[in-house]
Amino acid sequence: MIAPKELPPTVFIVDDDEAVRNSLRFLFKSVGVATKAFASAAEFLDNYQPSQPGCLVLDVRMPGMSGLELQEQLNLRGAVIPVIFITGHGDIPMAVEAMQHGAFDFLQKPFRDQDLIDRIQRALAKDAKNRASLKEHDRIRSRFETLTPREREVLTLMTRGKANKVMAAELGLSQRTVEIHRARVMEKSGAGSLAELVRMVLDLEGERPA
Amino acid sequence: MAANVLMKSDPKSNGSALEEAARRELQSSESAAHGLHGRMLHVSRLATIGEMAAGVAHELNQPLTAIANYAQACDRLLSRPGADAGELREALREIAAQAVRAGDIIRRLRTLAGNHGLQRVPSDLNSVVTEIANLLQTEARVHGARVSLELAPQLPSSIVDRVQIQHVILNLVRNGLEALDAVSGERELVIRTALAGDEVEIAVIDTGPGLTSDVAERMFDPFFSTKENGTGLGLPISNTIVRAHGGALRYRPNQPRGACFSIRLPLESHA
Repeated sequence: MIAPKELPPTVFIVDDDEAVRNSLRFLFKSVGVATKAFASAAEFLDNYQPSQPGCLVLDVRMPGMSGLELQEQLNLRGAVIPVIFITGHGDIPMAVEAMQHGAFDFLQKPFRDQDLIDRIQRALAKDAKNRASLKEHDRIRSRFETLTPREREVLTLMTRGKANKVMAAELGLSQRTVEIHRARVMEKSGAGSLAELVRMVLDLEGERPA
Repeated sequence: MAANVLMKSDPKSNGSALEEAARRELQSSESAAHGLHGRMLHVSRLATIGEMAAGVAHELNQPLTAIANYAQACDRLLSRPGADAGELREALREIAAQAVRAGDIIRRLRTLAGNHGLQRVPSDLNSVVTEIANLLQTEARVHGARVSLELAPQLPSSIVDRVQIQHVILNLVRNGLEALDAVSGERELVIRTALAGDEVEIAVIDTGPGLTSDVAERMFDPFFSTKENGTGLGLPISNTIVRAHGGALRYRPNQPRGACFSIRLPLESHA
């Protein structure tokens, strides 16, 4: 499941306060985590590459685009990067709102370093898992894209559990032809069994149980 | 009471004694009124500061967070053999700098909260603004906004009570920031100083919804407020302060939208 050698996971820090930003970099450096720091949400968006694995440590309150607005932008772009918000004492309602919009976690300033590091590690693990399943998803989709229209029809009927004879009647084909299509579907999809084939289809339809 | 006692004394001296008593009473009630006014200003200033507590707490939290992060990172680095002294020193210097930063925040707040007597001194109004610039940024941050200063390159001095004028500016900025809450996207508030004839103007400009003519008409009415929890005293007290300086506080719509509050103060040479 672990992705092959790629860019190392990076903690992206977005905080407009230079001292807080630098201290976070220093803290992460002391535990050997790579960081990239940005002074504003806009600066981060300009430089962010979705292919870069990592997580985002984000201050809720910032002039210009706030942390919540940045989260919204990332959601709109379909980014999967886990976001950990850091908030002040009075910002709990904002943190709750962030969680409702899919934030991974939040922490109140100032925090125990171990709390932050634990959360970062969980967020990076989550990101790796997200990326692995996205990759798997892409792999399956590209395989299914090689199916011919006729093979797709057969696939649909297969996943509904229709017998070859029924399929042949429904599609107006000979049973022998259906068998050939069926074999091609199994071969192209790489599924080892009908059960696995059904799971792949559900995955593509986004209906895979969590 | 004093007048009644005096009535019983020599009738001949009655007239002048009465006058004397009346004058004394008037003086004492004037100074009482003056004291009350002074206390009211102080209370109003404290109220403003109280309302700013959230911003100040947030602002103090920043250096504290940085200090905690550096200290904990140092602890980690030291627990390993061969810790880099240069790296540790860098962190220690930052810790010291952030402690000073926290101290500065508290000092600025104490200056503003202190109950000082009237202290009118010749002042460059630019410096009156820049002295509280950090406090204003703090306040702006709470509203996700930015305060930018557009200061005239050189201003002749005016005779002002710096803290009182700063209190007025704070009031106006707070109002402006609250108006900006209604705006999405970039929220910016401008403080502009300029020489205007024989006066100096400090303008606080926002791009919020502005004032309806109804509200503009009543803005100096005590206890009139458009805010849910407003005291309705901010603008009336600000107005009183500016007028006591021989100046004027005015509202005009900002183009293309928003509000512009202008504090006009006479130059020292024209005071």
